[in-house]
Amino acid sequence: MTALPLVGFLALSTALFAVGLFGILTRRNFILILIAIEIAMNAAILNFVYFGAFSNGTGGLTGQTVAVVLIGFAATEVAVGLAILLALNRLKGTINVAQATELKL
Amino acid sequence: MLDGLYGWAFLVPLFTALSFIIVGLAGTRMRRLEWGGWVAVAFAGASMVVGVLIGVGEMVNPGTYTDVRYTWLHLAPAPGPFPNGFTLVVGTLVDPISSLMLIVVTVVGFLVMLYSIGYMHQDRGLPRYYAEISLFLTAMSGLVLADNLLEFFLFWELVGVCSYFLIGFYYERPSAASAAKEAFIVTRVGDIMFLLGIFIYFWYYSSVAPGWAANGFLFTNGTAPYLVGVLGGNSTTLTVAGIMILGGAAGKSAQFPLHVWLPDAMEGPTTVSALIHAATMVAAGVYLLAVTSLFLGFTSTDQLAIVGVGGFTAFFAATMAVVHPDIKRVIAYSTISQLGYMVMAVGAGFAMVGLFHLFTHAFFKALLFLAAGSVIHAVGTQDLFKMGGLRKSMRLTAAAFAVGGLALAGIPPFAGFWSKDDILSAVYSQLGSHPAYWPFFLLAFAAVFLTAYYIFRAWFLAFSGDHPRDLNLPHAHEGPWTMQVPLVLLSALAIGAGLLIFLPGFQSLLLSGAGATGIPPVYGTTDLVISAVSVTLGLGGIALAWLLWGNGRVYALRATSPAQPVRRLLLNRYYFKVGYDWIGAKGVYTIARAADFFDRFVIDGTVHGFERAFALLSNRLRRIQSGVVSDYAAYVVAGLIALFAILLIVAPYVVARLGGG
Amino acid sequence: MPVLGDPKVSLEEVAFLVLAVVALLTAVAALLVRELVHTILWIAVFFVDISAIYFLLEAPFLGVLQLGVYAGAVTVLLLFGVMLTRKRIFSREAATGLDAVPLALALVTFIFVVTSVGQLPQSNQTVTSYDPSLLSENLFGPFGPWLLLLGLLMMGAVAGSIYLVREGRE
Repeated sequence: MTALPLVGFLALSTALFAVGLFGILTRRNFILILIAIEIAMNAAILNFVYFGAFSNGTGGLTGQTVAVVLIGFAATEVAVGLAILLALNRLKGTINVAQATELKL
Repeated sequence: MLDGLYGWAFLVPLFTALSFIIVGLAGTRMRRLEWGGWVAVAFAGASMVVGVLIGVGEMVNPGTYTDVRYTWLHLAPAPGPFPNGFTLVVGTLVDPISSLMLIVVTVVGFLVMLYSIGYMHQDRGLPRYYAEISLFLTAMSGLVLADNLLEFFLFWELVGVCSYFLIGFYYERPSAASAAKEAFIVTRVGDIMFLLGIFIYFWYYSSVAPGWAANGFLFTNGTAPYLVGVLGGNSTTLTVAGIMILGGAAGKSAQFPLHVWLPDAMEGPTTVSALIHAATMVAAGVYLLAVTSLFLGFTSTDQLAIVGVGGFTAFFAATMAVVHPDIKRVIAYSTISQLGYMVMAVGAGFAMVGLFHLFTHAFFKALLFLAAGSVIHAVGTQDLFKMGGLRKSMRLTAAAFAVGGLALAGIPPFAGFWSKDDILSAVYSQLGSHPAYWPFFLLAFAAVFLTAYYIFRAWFLAFSGDHPRDLNLPHAHEGPWTMQVPLVLLSALAIGAGLLIFLPGFQSLLLSGAGATGIPPVYGTTDLVISAVSVTLGLGGIALAWLLWGNGRVYALRATSPAQPVRRLLLNRYYFKVGYDWIGAKGVYTIARAADFFDRFVIDGTVHGFERAFALLSNRLRRIQSGVVSDYAAYVVAGLIALFAILLIVAPYVVARLGGG
Repeated sequence: MPVLGDPKVSLEEVAFLVLAVVALLTAVAALLVRELVHTILWIAVFFVDISAIYFLLEAPFLGVLQLGVYAGAVTVLLLFGVMLTRKRIFSREAATGLDAVPLALALVTFIFVVTSVGQLPQSNQTVTSYDPSLLSENLFGPFGPWLLLLGLLMMGAVAGSIYLVREGRE
């Protein structure tokens, strides 16, 4: 295995995170927000795996293990997000988050 | 033998203070309201006993200065303006002048208190009256016995407050309430000047005699006056301080131009007028001048001012008494006039002579007031033009009033003659070295004539003739024994007080006031001439009064007479009150308006400005909370970026710190 | 960035480059297309692509896991979500355009992280690979508590979700 560029990977995961961030901040459709969150989480998990792969000793194992657990977390979070989506839909009749502004001052 | 008594001098104010507390708290709960009065009388009597004993003791063995002191404030020595510490004390000082005043205050106080039992018989407010009078006696005797300037001022203020209470005793009457306010406010002007005078003395003597202020502004250190020998001659500062003291005395003693409150103070009960506004409180101003001249000293400029104020007031007040129809106000003006004589004497350097006149004046003025009170009590009116022929039904009162009038007019052998003539002689003796005194001396002399005239005008109007002019007047009769006894006693004093001067003990008492230039013990020819002239003027005044008002006659000016404007001027008190009211309305009101404007626009404006600014700001900030979660997420991210930025900037320094440290 | 700095470009590098570009493109596409169902498709591709990257990084187990969980379950979940909340599957409910501020924020974040990381020294590490059994030993050994935590979290999520969607509210 040859050396793969360090910065390149980090650039990728950071870029993916930025994309996810952008999606969270802009999109008004709840499902799209969920998707954006998933993108960001995947970027983070990718980071873990990447650093794990490039460390010697037990570091690498830790990286992958943590990544496994995190994938579980992310899946769980999607499930809960789905439940919230359904509740929102029932309450408001729409999935446009710009219309769920009861917390406005 | 009586020396030991001097240490108990504080009992004099203490007894009446106890009376104040007891009657004030428990008076309304007594079975019969008059008992409060008897309690007060008892305590006043006890006070009188102690006071007279002390006075007699001083007369037998004059010149003894005794102090009992209690330190109520003490600052330890420390670097600064008072390197040896600072002490304020209260104490009593028994010396010839204070004991003279003490006799006056306690005796007149007791007699007036006794008289009040018969005179005041209303259902409400009686305990309040006796309590307030007791408090007043406490304050007055405390003032007389004060051994330092600050204690003096303390009791001075207390006396003013009691005067306010007592003038406004019938507080439901608007005229009484406003008269009380007027008295307090006008004397306040004087009080402020007095206080300024104290400040100036403090400031001046802190360099010349620093021990004086640091030890509590004492009048004497036990053997001799504190500041004798330290006087600064003609220093301007001392002159100004003296003028301030004169201002304070003028306020309290109703001298020109602060005289306006005293005639209105007649709104109070007649007994109050007798005690406070004849014999004692107004005398406090003269006492202040006497004490200042003996212990602190006046420059010659001050003396001229004092003589001027006194002499002018003596004449000025007498002119107003000449036309007034109200019996009490006539006597009030005469008080102002006689106080002018006393002030003039102190100004000329003869403090003891002035105090002697104060002594005799207290008795015959109180007598006049109480006699007038007897009349008012009998016929229910104060208007002289409604009275008449009362000598037939009120013999004692008529006689008493006549005795008081003769004393006032200065007819020998009545008391007023001795003291008033002493004043005239004293001032005359100074005319050579102070030619500026001449106009005031002449004014004082003229006032003798006027004095005799107006007081007997009053007597004739009230007592002569066959029947009252107002036919609806109730039938007159003498008052109860509690009213008659004081009249008799005071008449005796009005006759005998002057003759005391022939007692060697009394003479030495008058002569021994610290630094006093005494009365001339031997009468020279000039003095006899002066006496003769003044007696003649007095008799002439009485004669004129008989001509115009005797036998029930009423002398009325023709409506077209050229003297009418003069009469109106006098009746309206030279429009002084109008003038003061105008000053108050225009001057003070303008200042009040300006202050209100400032308050509303500037201060409130600032507050409201803050209000509006905050409301605006919060309105703007409110829009951050849009309720849209994405916005909130954006804020979080922005904050995170800022945090990272700060960390990035700070990081090298942290690393360097950790690495280096 | 010395991505192509080496004189010879290896196969892994090319593969990585392709995968990276695809990942970015699909992610952006998922967020920007009009139709909701299209985004689901794009995101599915994205997940598969990430999985390929895992394989490239010598983490096969993780790659398979990614395929199963993400490209499988999560995608289906999202699809369910779309189906349950929309009356017409192909209706237009997607996003709007590109707003300035969030774009700026995202860009700034990206630049920040990259520049700060760019200051790290270059390292020529090789990728190490691990036996999957080691992974499971690690997972049930030292990382046992994490697993437990994950289990509890899932249980809580199930309960919460059931509560959130139950009938009879409002």
